[in-house]
Parts: sequence; structure tokens; C-alpha cells
Amino acid sequence: MFTKHQFLEPLARLRTDQIVITTMGVVRPWARYSEHALDFASADSAMGHAADFALGIALAQPSRQVICLNGDGSMLMTLGTLVTIASSGVKNLILFVVQNGTYEVTGNQLTPGSDRVDFSGLAKSAGFPRAYTFDDAQAYECSLEEILSGDGPVCVTVKTEPGSEGPLGRRPDEPAHYLRCSLADSARQLRGALLDRGAD
Amino acid sequence: MAQARLILDELKKAKVTHVLTVPDNSSRTLLELLAADRTIPIVPVTREGEAFAIATGLWVGGKKPVVLIQNTGLLETGDALRGTAIRMRVPLVCLITYRGYAKLQASGISTKAEALNASLLSRLDLDSVALLTEPTLKAWSIPHYFLHEDGDIAQISAAFRKAQELEQPVAVLITRDTT
Repeated sequence: MFTKHQFLEPLARLRTDQIVITTMGVVRPWARYSEHALDFASADSAMGHAADFALGIALAQPSRQVICLNGDGSMLMTLGTLVTIASSGVKNLILFVVQNGTYEVTGNQLTPGSDRVDFSGLAKSAGFPRAYTFDDAQAYECSLEEILSGDGPVCVTVKTEPGSEGPLGRRPDEPAHYLRCSLADSARQLRGALLDRGAD
Repeated sequence: MAQARLILDELKKAKVTHVLTVPDNSSRTLLELLAADRTIPIVPVTREGEAFAIATGLWVGGKKPVVLIQNTGLLETGDALRGTAIRMRVPLVCLITYRGYAKLQASGISTKAEALNASLLSRLDLDSVALLTEPTLKAWSIPHYFLHEDGDIAQISAAFRKAQELEQPVAVLITRDTT
């Protein structure tokens, strides 16, 4: 297992113009590494629906990579989305599943099957052409460039230690830049940024 | 009954880019026509809540999707609809086939006038999903239009205008099988 820092820091370093959708326990940690206009927090939104929301953006913007930083609890809520993603024909979606085995933001209660669910195995069975699982930070970092290149969809399970992120909210004094406005405003900002940039 | 061809023409007129769906018997003809026509891609989903999350992402990405589901699926969507299309104020039109509408009409019961209770919701001669459809839309603040027959086809364009005006989801209730 590795830490969220070991997961997020290399990803933030290699990230260029991808859209990044975060949810639950990685929303605030990601904002410590990135203040990009194409970051979006699926917070104060629908539980478990970050991956399918990301799929919609990926379908709409096929020339741009979409990275979704999902949690294991969130993924369990919509496992069918793995099948929908694989069946959609999308090639530009990279789905990370942060498997810490707990519902972190509600106090680290164990997720069902926390010690044995194989998300990348499920993704492979669903039809993802590429799927990876990492429990070692060095192996993950060495593979990251390969993960970010080539056609997807890609599922990457990263086994991290449980963290201590508290409940998520949106308010003007929130340290995380993308939690300072409403979800509706945040959606319009991302839409505006994508439509302004066209297919660059 | 409304002809699927007319619905498809309305969707094309509105420049719809994607149809997200879980199929049912009432939408079968429309889905077959969409598949044969190939102008608007169909995105099949595994559960109706997914349809709203994907549609919201498509809209954020600059597209114009519609959701085509049955009213039973509408009830399933709950938090997904609330936390995506409603909370993000997406001008999204949802075509919802209205299972149980004919029986409801025949019963003379008005869901606007009568309080719902367990005895009503378990009656053999009624489909409980029909009893719950309009009250649920009202509770979720989703305006709705009716599509009963060909003469109502302009209700689809009206729904698109209302969704744009209010910046929120709007429903079109399809009360009979499409032909």
C-alpha cells in the first residue's frame, strides 16, 4: 500500500491538458497539487456517480483525455458503470480506483469486500482493454507514463492507506480552489473552459 | 399513440446529439428507429441513474443529450438525478414512458387530488408506479409535458424551450406505446 501523496504527486507532475474529475477522499488532496481550470470536484453531487459523469465528458470530448479519480466505495455503488464505459467505445477515459478499503469521509468504515474486491479484474471482465493494479508506489510511478499514453479505456486500481479526509462541502473559504463555488457554477466553469478551448 | 418517426424528427430538429436509455416496451419502436436511422447515437446504460450522470457530463462537454427511460426507472434515479442534472442545472429533456397510465385514467383517480397511501399503492387494478410518477416529478421540481398522440408532438419542442429557459431538467411523459 502507498500514500495518497505517492499516488497524486506523480500524476499531477505528468498531467498536461487532461480533464480531471475527483470525488470523495481525493478531492482536497488533489487540490494541493493542482489548480487547473480543467479540474472538477464531484462533491456535493450524486454519490457514486463520478465515473459515469466522467464518461459523459469523455464521450463529448473525444480528442481530450479524461481522468477520473474515483474511490472504491464510490465504484461499488455503480459497478455497472464499468460495463457501460467498456461498451461505450470511449477511448479517452482513464479511471483510477483508489482502493483504501474504507468509506474515508464518513469515518473509515470498511467497504463491503474491502479485502478482496479486484476492481481491475472486474474492469477487464467488463471489457476494458487495459487494467492495472498497484500496491507499490515505485511500480506505479514507473508505469504512469505508459498508463497515460495509448488508447483506453484504462482502469487503474491503486491500493492506498486509509486517510483522514473529513466530510466534503462547498463554501467560499474552502482551501480547495474548486470547492469555493456551487456545483452548478463549477459545471458551467468547466463547460466554459472546454468550449472556449475547442479541441486544443 | 405517437409515431416514433415524429418523435425522431423532433429530436433531430432540436439537434439532440445522444440518447441515453434503458429500453422498455413503450419506447421499443422509437429505439429501433433511432438505431436504424443512425443520426443520433444511442448510449445504453445499466441503470437509469447512470443515464443522468452521463447526460450531465455530455452537456458539460458541449453536447445535447436526452434521457429516454420508463417511469419505473425514473423512481430508481433518485440521488443520481438530484446530484447531477438538477444540482448542476442542466437543461436536459427526459422522455419518460408512463407505465400504468391507462389504468390510472380508467380508475378516475387523480394523483393531484388524492393523497397516496398504502392501500392505494397496493391495489390490484392499479400500477403503483403510475400513481407515483407525477407526484415524484412535482417533488423534484421537474416540469412535465404530455405526449399522448401525434397531435401533441410539439410538446417535445416546448420541453426543450422550457429546459433552456429554466436551466433545469424537464420531462415529457409518453403515455402510450410509440408506433
